Amino acid sequence: MKNVIERSDAKNLAQMEGKYRGLLEAAPDAMVVVNQRGEIDLLNVQAEKQFGYRRDELLGQKVTTIIPRGFAERLVADDLRSAADALDQQIGTGIELVALRKDGTEFPIEIMLSPLDSAEGMLVTAAIRDISVRKAAEQHLAQMEGRYRGLLEAAPDAMVVVNQSGEIVLLNAQAEKQFGYRRDELLGQKVTNIIPIGFAERLIADDLRSAADALGQQIGTGIELVALRKDGSEFPIEIMLSPLDSTEGILVTAAIRDISVRRAADEHLSQMEGRYRGLLEAAPDAMVVVNQSGEIVLLNAQAEKQFGYHRDELLGQQVTTVIPEGFAERLIADDLRSDEDALAQQIGTGIELDGVRKDGSFFPIEIMLSPLESAEGMLVTAAIRDITARNSAEEHLVRKMDELNRSNEELEQFAYIASHDLQEPLRMVASYTQLLARRYTGRLDADADEFISFAVDGAARMQRLIQDLLAFSRVGTKGKDLVAIPSGDALDRALKNLSGAIEDSGAIVTFDPLPSVLADEMQLIQLFQNLVGNAIKYQNAGIPKVHVSAERCAEDDKWVFKVRDNGIGIDPQYYDRIFGMFKRLHKREEFAGTGIGLAICKKIVERHGGAISVESQPGEGSTFTFDLISGTNQVNETGE
Amino acid sequence: MPVEVLLIEDSPGDIRLMQEAFREAMTPTNLSVVCDGDEALAFLRLEGTHAAAPRPELILLDLNLPKIDGREVLTQIKSDDDLKMIPIIVLTSSEAEGDVVAIYHMQANCCLLKPTDLDSFKSLIKTTTDFWLSLAKLPHEYRRPMDRFPEDTPIPSHGPQARIARNVSGG
Amino acid sequence: MPLQILLVEDSPGDVRLTKEAFRDAGKTVELHVAVDGVEAMQFLRKEGAHADAPRPDFILLDLNLPKMDGREVLALIKQDESLRSIPTVILTTSDAEADIVHSYQLRANCYLSKPVQLEQFEAIVRSINDFWLTKAKLPQQVLS
Repeated sequence: MKNVIERSDAKNLAQMEGKYRGLLEAAPDAMVVVNQRGEIDLLNVQAEKQFGYRRDELLGQKVTTIIPRGFAERLVADDLRSAADALDQQIGTGIELVALRKDGTEFPIEIMLSPLDSAEGMLVTAAIRDISVRKAAEQHLAQMEGRYRGLLEAAPDAMVVVNQSGEIVLLNAQAEKQFGYRRDELLGQKVTNIIPIGFAERLIADDLRSAADALGQQIGTGIELVALRKDGSEFPIEIMLSPLDSTEGILVTAAIRDISVRRAADEHLSQMEGRYRGLLEAAPDAMVVVNQSGEIVLLNAQAEKQFGYHRDELLGQQVTTVIPEGFAERLIADDLRSDEDALAQQIGTGIELDGVRKDGSFFPIEIMLSPLESAEGMLVTAAIRDITARNSAEEHLVRKMDELNRSNEELEQFAYIASHDLQEPLRMVASYTQLLARRYTGRLDADADEFISFAVDGAARMQRLIQDLLAFSRVGTKGKDLVAIPSGDALDRALKNLSGAIEDSGAIVTFDPLPSVLADEMQLIQLFQNLVGNAIKYQNAGIPKVHVSAERCAEDDKWVFKVRDNGIGIDPQYYDRIFGMFKRLHKREEFAGTGIGLAICKKIVERHGGAISVESQPGEGSTFTFDLISGTNQVNETGE
Repeated sequence: MPVEVLLIEDSPGDIRLMQEAFREAMTPTNLSVVCDGDEALAFLRLEGTHAAAPRPELILLDLNLPKIDGREVLTQIKSDDDLKMIPIIVLTSSEAEGDVVAIYHMQANCCLLKPTDLDSFKSLIKTTTDFWLSLAKLPHEYRRPMDRFPEDTPIPSHGPQARIARNVSGG
Repeated sequence: MPLQILLVEDSPGDVRLTKEAFRDAGKTVELHVAVDGVEAMQFLRKEGAHADAPRPDFILLDLNLPKMDGREVLALIKQDESLRSIPTVILTTSDAEADIVHSYQLRANCYLSKPVQLEQFEAIVRSINDFWLTKAKLPQQVLS
């Protein structure tokens, strides 16, 4: 026994004990020295504090007072071993026990034992550490692991958790199924049993990198490997690694997906692509296939040509390289719609965009999109057509239309200005020939009277012609917007304007209730005035009877108006002719008029989006028919 | 489309006579009546209950009004860029009441003296409506007389009263 | 003293027609004629040859005039404190909405368009006589 201290060296011992006590008090842990009888010989302040006793309350007491089980037993020799041996087995080991405070509360401790030879025999020094905090943390972790297992089992993929030694420490049911093993057949086994190559290697540090670095490089990456089932068959997998800190060091969770189906699909696709490429190249337009990330995955020779790139310069590039705006945006879902919906809205639609060539020049394109399901998700095939030529043709057409409209407008302006300016001198001619007639008729000779009457008549006719021309050109140039108006009011106004003619002829004008229509009020009045006026004028003898009616035409929301008279009628061969400019069917001596009235009617009705026609037989009266858009569905109706 | 006329007049008797006269006029009118200067300005500026008031094409203004005086109404309208082009015919009850020069100076378009006897009053209003509604061109887009309607139809003279006058509505 | 009327009109035909129509209307008026805008302003301001011109009770003004346009004449009259109270009626061939509104904005008292027909022209002059010269209160009448 090398630590035996001689009794004779008592003074030395006292010194030793003093020094030892100093060490005892300096220790961070509670320290208790126990003799072979299990009695406490010595303790430090931390021990007093931890157990809640004063020193003298513990000295000489059984150690079971504060550590009821597991400590004292270890000090006692049993049949199989000596006291020294019994202790030897325990020395240095951290033993977890339960301690008891003076107040009766328990708390977990870890004790470390060390022997101390003394004059009184072997003593045991116990360093006692309160591990309640650590225990709580461990419990928490265990709960966490329980929960983690729940997640593991819920995962759709096979999941295997591997430690740094490459041993499987956890796996889920999917993993059992996928590899054909029972759980206990795999737990603790090397992961190389199921993934022979490529996984374990990734966990191991080599000369160049630490374990953490090795793992760091692989985390999150989809790695394609070959897996081995219990029955020895192989299958392709993709694994995704993620690290998991645990009390046992870093663990690696591997999500393992069987990709045999996808592999087959890929193969199929490449065959399809071969075939599809044939179609692509045969297409007359530039064709570009784009994935949902907006990357070009395929293109044909026309696309190379059109955009001025080599194929490999575009493959994998964003489609915005060649179509900066308006295409990629269409592939992307937003808050309101899914990818599919976003795309669905665009499929098949001709969209006009700008393309940009490699040299930076822009050109107008039209693209047609069609979806293509593939293993990589939905792809979009865009047929791209250079519409430079078409656009310039359209521009040409638009320019021609503008020119035509302008020249039409100019013509109308010309007619308006000419007739307006012609009126001034004509007014002088007409006014003064009238004055001449008024004051000098009968005061000169018969020739003079006749000459004056021709001059007056000619001037008056020319005035009417010019006024009618003016009115005709005004239909186009001075027309107002069409608004909902009561057509009955327009007829009232027209009849009022015709009151002189109505009174003179004794005409009877009747009408049905008339609807609201979309019209330029002034023009509608003029239309009624011309038609009713004609009906009164073109009569042989007797009382003119005119009836105005309107009938709803349900299918296109129009009203069909009819102005019926009992007048002289019109031979059917002249139906078209009467609506032309200056077309007259009668000698001036029979019926006055310039032949513009019905031309104006036609122009007014056409401006209102309708058509005018006539049905008649000579001697049996005429019915003029025209249609106008109903005003009842309009918001701005101005009915009475 | 009837001509929109605003009568600013506080005497119920005169209002009634005006309504009769306008109803008999050749040109259909829509006569609105307000009884004081405040209301007149509110009407013209589409304020308060007059938010949907029609824009008058002609105003008849009695000079003797409660609240805001007729002269003030005249001045306000004629200094408002949106309203100043609307012709205003001022009616005064006696020559003593208004210096006619001042009324024209304040940019009244026309000044009329209200006669005391009924026949003269009716005759005055008839002449006035005949002139302003049928002959004068009022500053409004759709107020275009019918005298230029094209041939095949006789041009109505101003002589006979029209037989159909359904459109006329009093204020 | 008969009513003094200033007719600003460059067409002798229209001047004559106006005179005839006033005569037919049976009213004794003294019709003074200015053939352009410059002369109209000289007359109104009693300048040059028009030093003895009377102050008109009523002005009939054409818009389309040589030298100085009728619109300009109208603006000058209505800006002139001493002239602005004279009723100034536009009588012109134009019935363009823009001319009508613009004239009222320039404070024309009334706007009339010259009718094409002789009878209507006569009717217009007659109604000027009936309404303006007979029924309406003109400033000068009251003073005299």
